[in-house]
Amino acid sequence: MSEAAVALETSGLGKRYGRKWGLEDCSFRLPTGRIAALVGPNGAGKSTLLRMAAGITRPTAGEVRVFGHSPQEQTVEVLRQVGYLDQERPLYRSFRVEEMLRFGRKLNPTWDDSAARGYLAELDIPPGGKVGNLSVGQQAQVALTMCLAKRPALLLLDEPVAALDPVAREGLMHVLLRSVVDDNATVLLSSHAISDLATVCDYVIILSASHVHVADDLDYVLASHRLLVASSEEAPQLPPGVVVVSTTSSERQTNVLVRVEQPVVDPAWQVMEPTLEEIVIAYLRAPKSTTATAGPTRADRPGEGAR
Amino acid sequence: MIWATWRMHRSIFLASIGVSAAFAIWLTVTGLIDEHAWTIFTSHHCSLNYPGSSVLCSSAYAGRGLFSSINSALCNALPAVLGLVLGVPIVAGEIQQNTNRLAWSQTITRTRWVLTKIGVGALVTAGIMGALAPLMWWWTNVTERNDRILPLNFDISGFVDVAYALFAFMLGVALGAVIRRIGWAFAAGIPLFVAVRLGERDYIRPSLLSATSVSVSPLNPGHGTDWVLNTGFLPLGDSTPPPGQTWSSSSQAINSCLGYSPGAQKATHSITYCQKVLRLHYELQIQPASHFWALQAVESAIFLAVAGALLALTVLAVRRWRT
Repeated sequence: MSEAAVALETSGLGKRYGRKWGLEDCSFRLPTGRIAALVGPNGAGKSTLLRMAAGITRPTAGEVRVFGHSPQEQTVEVLRQVGYLDQERPLYRSFRVEEMLRFGRKLNPTWDDSAARGYLAELDIPPGGKVGNLSVGQQAQVALTMCLAKRPALLLLDEPVAALDPVAREGLMHVLLRSVVDDNATVLLSSHAISDLATVCDYVIILSASHVHVADDLDYVLASHRLLVASSEEAPQLPPGVVVVSTTSSERQTNVLVRVEQPVVDPAWQVMEPTLEEIVIAYLRAPKSTTATAGPTRADRPGEGAR
Repeated sequence: MIWATWRMHRSIFLASIGVSAAFAIWLTVTGLIDEHAWTIFTSHHCSLNYPGSSVLCSSAYAGRGLFSSINSALCNALPAVLGLVLGVPIVAGEIQQNTNRLAWSQTITRTRWVLTKIGVGALVTAGIMGALAPLMWWWTNVTERNDRILPLNFDISGFVDVAYALFAFMLGVALGAVIRRIGWAFAAGIPLFVAVRLGERDYIRPSLLSATSVSVSPLNPGHGTDWVLNTGFLPLGDSTPPPGQTWSSSSQAINSCLGYSPGAQKATHSITYCQKVLRLHYELQIQPASHFWALQAVESAIFLAVAGALLALTVLAVRRWRT
């Protein structure tokens, strides 16, 4: 079996701000054609990771590769293939919307002008309007359009659904799916809205306290985690072969989210399939020391083989 | 990218052109007023030695230099202000608004991005300054500033101002790229520009071209429109002070020979006598007026070279951007 092409790869990637690490020892491999969700609490290093992948920021340690090239080299070859949406949605506020598009057209040989115009027309954003006078949501849409119209092979979107209303979120997810299907693009997007992501994403990267906990196919992540519930004051012994991610207990009930390699059958526990949201929250709640190396990674799994 | 640069900085470009045009009108009007007063002064045979010989003469005398110092100051400040105003926002303006993150994720390398922006900005700077330079020349002409090689006039004549403006522009760009804040880049740029300009004027310019020495009578040390760098009594045959001595080393000996005593009305000996007895002559070290254009060229080259170094620094800072 030939191995899937890799769109984005990081190894030991780290970024230090002063004495504090914004991201540390981050290693994962994102295959092409995926829509990957980058989830984690504020300050987990999501934006830092995306900025380094876009070549805006330099890593302090390790390296990041986009289609095999380092984005730090700032070559046209890499720039052409990456569409980056910054968290701040920077736009030239004094430009009119159509001037913003002209900017994109002049600076990107792969620019799809009719797609950009169509997208904005659909959203009722007037092309003659000044960017600075648009609403926050409309500005976010213009910024997104700047990314999408470039038709990049890798879309790096920092909080793309923030500032969008539910209808616009739905629309964006649709557009992303279409670009993945039509252009075989790869998408890495960060978000807080985990429930929105679950419907469209097929890959998940969980980042917390500057570390990567999970980076894998959504299906695998869902299949390899179980929520064990015991309705007793004192938790019974855990079944063999499970790795605890986090435990929450109340007077009457103990919930343990575990990572499993094979089906769990234990009469002492009620075994449930957790949602992505529950898994994410479990990792975010888990003490750093126990989970820093607990996440399953693709390389850990038998049969996947080395690259 | 040329269009984009123009569009991004359009308001500051247009404002600079507007203010410069207003300055041009001001300089023309005040220059004509000065010229008119000067014409009256000469046509009525007024004398510079006795300007108060008639009411007409004294009012014309006062009028001919009415705007002299203010215009002189404005002409001196212009290259710095113009260059910094246009230069500082080139990189710092984008960083402050985070639009560099947008620009740097388009299909254009940072080097090309910054070089195009600098190219357009430098062209605007040089264009404005280049258009004003002939007008400043005209103004120095009508106010009878014939001794152009003197720093007072040299700095606002010829084409050296274009080089000053380009230096100020690159200083603004580089400081903006390093400091990343418009306000702080300005605050640092003004004293730096002044320090470089005055430092160059006082310590480098006098020795840029080899100076000439002329021996003159101390009673009538005429030097025409040349720039006098040093004066003093030197041993006969020397055109520069002997080793271990300065231009003023012999003035003590001259003074004691002259025999001035406190309260004395007259010297004991004549200066000619003292020079002969002490075997000294009075020497002027000058930069002749004929060196004007050569000096303009050399000094412009120096400022452009510094601007080039600042350009390299800027490209490096932009390429190695970390945060």
